[in-house]
Amino acid sequence: MTSSSTRSINTTAVVGLSFWVGLMVLISHWMGQQAHRWLPVQASTAAPLVDDLFSFETAIGTFVFLGVVSVMVWVMLFNRAEKYDETDAIPIEGNTRLEVIWTAIPFVLVMGIAFWTIRASDQLGTLGPMEHIHPRNPVEEAGGYLGDRLPAEQVEVIARQWSWEFRYPGTTVSSTELHLAVDQPVTFRLVSEDVLHGFYIPAFRVKQDVVPGRAIDFNVTPTREGVYRLRDSQFSGTWFAANQADVVVESAEEHQEWLQKAARAPLQPGLSLAVSEYATRQARSNPGWATVPPAPPPQVNVPGSPAQPHQA
Amino acid sequence: MTTTTLQQPGAPAEHEEHPKHNLTGFIIFLCSESVIFLAFFSGYALLKTSALNWLPNGVEGLEWRMPLINTIVLVSSSGTIALAEHFKNRENMALFRGFWLMSMAMGAYFLYGQAVEWSGLQFGFTSGTFGGTFYLLTGFHGLHVATGILLMGLMLIKSFIPGNYKGGEQGVQATSLFWHFVDVIWIILFLLIYVWQ
Amino acid sequence: MTIATFPPEPTPEQGWGRYFGFCTDAKVIGIQYIVTAFFFFLIGGLLAMVIRGELITPASDLVDRAVYNGIYTMHGTIMLFLFIFPVLNGLNNLLIPTMIGAPDMAFPRLNAVAFWLVPIFGFLLMASFFVPGGPAYSGWWSYPPVSIQNPVGHLINGQGMWITAVALSGVSSIMGAINFVTTILRMRAPGMTLFRMPVFCWTALAAQSLQLIGLPALTGGAIMLLMDLTFGTSFYRPEGGGDPVLYQHFFWFYSHPAVYVIILPVFGIFSELFPVYSRKPLFGYVYVALASFIIVGLGLIVWVHHMFPSGVAQWMRNLFMVTTMLIAVPTGVKVFAWLGTLWGGKLRLTTPMLFCLGGLFNFVFAGITGIMLATVPVDIHVSNTYFVVGHFHYVIYGAAVMGIFAAIYHWFPKFIGRMPYEGLGKLHFLLTFIGANLNFLPMHPLGLTGMPRRVSSYDPEFTFWNVVASLGAFLLGVSIIPFLLNMLSAWIRGPKATHNPWNAIGLEWLLPSPPPEDNFGEEVPTVISRPYGYGSGQPLVEHQDEIERRLALQEAAA
Repeated sequence: MTSSSTRSINTTAVVGLSFWVGLMVLISHWMGQQAHRWLPVQASTAAPLVDDLFSFETAIGTFVFLGVVSVMVWVMLFNRAEKYDETDAIPIEGNTRLEVIWTAIPFVLVMGIAFWTIRASDQLGTLGPMEHIHPRNPVEEAGGYLGDRLPAEQVEVIARQWSWEFRYPGTTVSSTELHLAVDQPVTFRLVSEDVLHGFYIPAFRVKQDVVPGRAIDFNVTPTREGVYRLRDSQFSGTWFAANQADVVVESAEEHQEWLQKAARAPLQPGLSLAVSEYATRQARSNPGWATVPPAPPPQVNVPGSPAQPHQA
Repeated sequence: MTTTTLQQPGAPAEHEEHPKHNLTGFIIFLCSESVIFLAFFSGYALLKTSALNWLPNGVEGLEWRMPLINTIVLVSSSGTIALAEHFKNRENMALFRGFWLMSMAMGAYFLYGQAVEWSGLQFGFTSGTFGGTFYLLTGFHGLHVATGILLMGLMLIKSFIPGNYKGGEQGVQATSLFWHFVDVIWIILFLLIYVWQ
Repeated sequence: MTIATFPPEPTPEQGWGRYFGFCTDAKVIGIQYIVTAFFFFLIGGLLAMVIRGELITPASDLVDRAVYNGIYTMHGTIMLFLFIFPVLNGLNNLLIPTMIGAPDMAFPRLNAVAFWLVPIFGFLLMASFFVPGGPAYSGWWSYPPVSIQNPVGHLINGQGMWITAVALSGVSSIMGAINFVTTILRMRAPGMTLFRMPVFCWTALAAQSLQLIGLPALTGGAIMLLMDLTFGTSFYRPEGGGDPVLYQHFFWFYSHPAVYVIILPVFGIFSELFPVYSRKPLFGYVYVALASFIIVGLGLIVWVHHMFPSGVAQWMRNLFMVTTMLIAVPTGVKVFAWLGTLWGGKLRLTTPMLFCLGGLFNFVFAGITGIMLATVPVDIHVSNTYFVVGHFHYVIYGAAVMGIFAAIYHWFPKFIGRMPYEGLGKLHFLLTFIGANLNFLPMHPLGLTGMPRRVSSYDPEFTFWNVVASLGAFLLGVSIIPFLLNMLSAWIRGPKATHNPWNAIGLEWLLPSPPPEDNFGEEVPTVISRPYGYGSGQPLVEHQDEIERRLALQEAAA
């Protein structure tokens, strides 16, 4: 084989490879853009940060995945043994330079992602201080709201098996549907009266376990009006799946109006799907495998509506 | 790592256990076992440092003088068992048995002291995290001491089989290792529970 | 050594009886492990079908919520403790002694005891379905306080039996690990230095070391959980000053490395099989072997990434994110080494090779979602959602189980002495590959849009992808039929296998199929070169030609 033909083969290979890598870059970029569409609506200041990071990782991941799969498809197409060819291939035992390259590149890549992530986390700053507290005594607090226990700027979130209760600062309002004013930073004080629960609002991209015996401060700023879902994300027993609540983000005026109206409303049982399902279940002749009975629904000013449409 | 060959002249049937592997296996086991204690120790430290009130109501703290005597007895038994092993290697079986028995007695004294201490305490297993971790740590360690005494008894009986220790006896080595292990664990335990109050 | 009497007389047919008794032969124990594991695999799979049946509609309508929680808990527990770990220990038992030229494991009786604990705790776990109150229902993590609530109020309850079974599984695994590590360190053939050892043995050594370090922590945590549940102590009970998050540390200190205990031997399988079926040496053998131990070291310091939303400080989140990310590096080294092995090879797309390629495909996908899960803000959004369920099923089913199938098809002729059928094997591969991707890919969009895991009902917007996932699951359920058919019919009347049907290099392939009871006996060949000498023409052991000639003669005579 002459040197010129070798060079021409190499040129073809280089052009082909460049073309393919370019195509992979384009596809990866496109996938990164698509990634935003796989996520719920952005309804908090945290959401854009999380989504951009996810989009970036999707793009990088797509590129790596396509690269590996390209090699696999290539060898399956062009490096197959001929029929009845029982011989071995050319023995190549390794290549130290290649090993160094493919150790160094992933190292730099993941450290880059880690650096970006740490900066993003700092910007988020969702997690406030955590303090150990004595578990609350449910009997002592039954049927009412002790407004003076709370720092004025915090919304207290009380998780139970299986209901959510929200108590608002500066008022005596409580509800089983979370109301927030748009574009106003809010700090939650998360407490649980029984087991672990997870405070998860997908549209906000935030999640924090609610740990019994601790009060955890948690900061969020909603940015979009609408109705979203709050879901229990840490398995909490039989009616875990039903332990959801609505989050209503409204304008500051509407929020004030709602608070005033709620303050005048009498206390009534809040929403708890578990309580009604439990009653049906116990009415059966054989209720089935054992379950912890649900806590009685909290007494609140505003139970909220179980059937209003939500956006995410 | 050097390689080993398998051929042993006159080796018994293939499914017999090779004595020199027993010690390797036992050391691996001890390393693994120490992680359980490590888990308990770190749990103790974490619960203690984050507790709002660590001691149960009416409990002032732990009395440390008698446990200290206990500690001294247990730690010295590490020395006596080493002596016993030394005499076994010299094939002086009488002194081996003497020091071996002495180590067993010291272990038994330790257990007795522990039992006396337990019976005089004002808190129980369910008295908060303090009571729980105290009984868990001392109880789990005590179980190991008892196991060690049983193993030593077994080795003592085996020493009366004629010619049993001719080719080097790994059981004695393993038991003695186990005993040192139990002692080291106790020292850490003593520091954690009695000294750090 | 001499090869005067090689090959040993084939062990006379010993019948089926020995598979049901206390037998100390590692090859029998290996098969006992694998068959037992697949028995429980079918039960766990059946439970998975019920789970996906429930989730095909948004409402909780197929089974009661309490039953659903029990079923998903038992599905996870059975698949991990009664399928994956036993099946891998089965492969270890078959492969380690034969690959290193040992007559048996270092402690054959301990080995048999370790195996027989599996059916015992398996029975205990199955029995928990029938006690009052039903089985454990708090997930395979068994996080307190849910796991210590004991709603039925009896001393004997599903959760207590669950903890006991898991502890027994730990005892069995520790016994196995001591045995495997001692065997690998002390019983290698003459000439087989550590860097002449097959990569499967390296990965087994790494995985079993992880068991030895990690499992006792879980055992310690489980003892405290059992005390809380049974005796009313308050290690994890907030009312008594305990800390539920402490349990999570114990649990994940072991249970994250447990993933490497599962995946490392599968890396070993890939590293064994890619060279055979592409007729090339393993690319960068030393790096691949050493990467296993870097994974061990890093694997022990990443556990908090399971607890990012659990209430840990921000600095801890950042620290554990970095260590988790670093694991991508040695793992990447392995993936690229396999690609380097395939590149320019002469590929033979047999059933085991297809399973390896499919497994690698799924593993790379899982690795990418793994990096996403390591980054704190993204993890906070998707942790405890179906995104995580999708991710780990890609690892466990997509990569590990596919690798295990590859290993079974590859070494079946060696240890059973008969050839499995290629047609059925390829059908099995196709159904598994399509089923797994159809089942587990839809879980990612579900998680991204906010569907929590472990739910028995969900909001209607999640219906579409759940239906797709359920259909994939049912296909995956069907995929096991050609496998079982293949195994049973090949075992009973498959064509006889020669000593080396795949033309592979390795000590196990220098033994008759199936190998005699004590393998090489006292005539262990001396190893003179590295494994995977494909194409180099270099023999693996002294007198290799003579050994192979005599094996061929013996086969011709039979």
